[in-house]
Amino acid sequence: MQFVPRQPDRNVNITPTSAIREFLVLAGGLMAIVLVLYLLLGFAVELLIPRLSPRFEQVLASSLLSKTMSGKIDAEKSQKLQSLLDRLQEHCARLPYHCTVKVIDSPRVNALAAPGGTIIVFSSLLDELSSENELTFVLGHEMGHFFHRDHLRGLGRGLVFMAISTALFGPHNQASRLAARFLNLTELRFSRQQETAADHFALDVLHCTYGHVGGALIFFKKLASMHHSRYAGVSFFSSHPLFPERMQDLQDYCRQQGFHNGRVTPLPEGW
Amino acid sequence: MGELTVFLVLLALGYGAGTLAEKHHYRSINKREEQLLHLPAVTIKKLDLDETQIERAVMVVGSVVISVDYFKRLLADLRNIFGGAVKSYESLLDRARREAILRMKEKAHGAAMIVNVRIETSSIGKRAFKGKLGSVEVIAYGTAISMKSS
Repeated sequence: MQFVPRQPDRNVNITPTSAIREFLVLAGGLMAIVLVLYLLLGFAVELLIPRLSPRFEQVLASSLLSKTMSGKIDAEKSQKLQSLLDRLQEHCARLPYHCTVKVIDSPRVNALAAPGGTIIVFSSLLDELSSENELTFVLGHEMGHFFHRDHLRGLGRGLVFMAISTALFGPHNQASRLAARFLNLTELRFSRQQETAADHFALDVLHCTYGHVGGALIFFKKLASMHHSRYAGVSFFSSHPLFPERMQDLQDYCRQQGFHNGRVTPLPEGW
Repeated sequence: MGELTVFLVLLALGYGAGTLAEKHHYRSINKREEQLLHLPAVTIKKLDLDETQIERAVMVVGSVVISVDYFKRLLADLRNIFGGAVKSYESLLDRARREAILRMKEKAHGAAMIVNVRIETSSIGKRAFKGKLGSVEVIAYGTAISMKSS
């Protein structure tokens, strides 16, 4: 028999396949997995929040706060606000936290509800206030976020990592610090419903304290005009800049609850 | 957005240029293999030959470096996550092996056969130092034997 050299019929070393199809399957699979994880994390946040005790939250907060509190704390103003806050908490706003308030020198017109029951008020916001009622409304609004635990929800999915790393390794460790880097307290975002609920809470507090809700709408009008004109950095309530709708909602709520306007209490001497 | 555009352009470029180059290369490989079919290249070491008939025995080397395109690299990276046959590299290595053997055969012009053929491969390039595939080098070498014309 004679040997005749010839090429093999087919190349066994290459799998006949469509590269595009393989790419779509693999990339699609990867994206699906990431999406599922993302959704699961979202559910995990909702599951986690009711189970976080205020005490654990305080531990958690300590690694978060140090970053936001880098500004200078105005001890004198903090003290004054704290006494007002204590009064509110004692009579009108029962919360599972003992809230503390810190005033930080900053040009930002903002206040925020930080984990662990700390309300941070930036000093420029205080400059805009003209009555104690307005101040009560601001504090009431932030306490409303604590009451509904929105401040934890606002941290989003990063909270899950934060809680896990804190539970495992304690408050000040590399992993918590890393997680904290992705959680910026000053960039908390609340949904419209959350803001509305916090507004209602603030109105309740206002009414309970003074017997009327005078000051709330004035404050809103002031913020709305500032929002449009003077400041670019008005971020209090800025997660949805729909001031007119929100004011309408406040008015509706007042009508519904039978709250009415009244004479505002001026700010204490030497403010 | 800008990064995504760059990524998509690279991906399309990698796929387009890579596929074109591969098709072109395979056409060339098939043609040249057909032409060099008469020259056997085998791994056998010892031949039952009358040594006095051997005119010359020289070492012949053929080597080629082929780079992987962006699309194939991404496909392989994805494969690294899920596991399985890295099909996108199969054609790359197949081309490199066959090209190296072809070059070796072309070097052995006039020889009757190439014996003791060995094929080796290595990964070269900047990425190779990071444990990834940069470019692949395949080198084929053997002993080309020319017979005395009787």
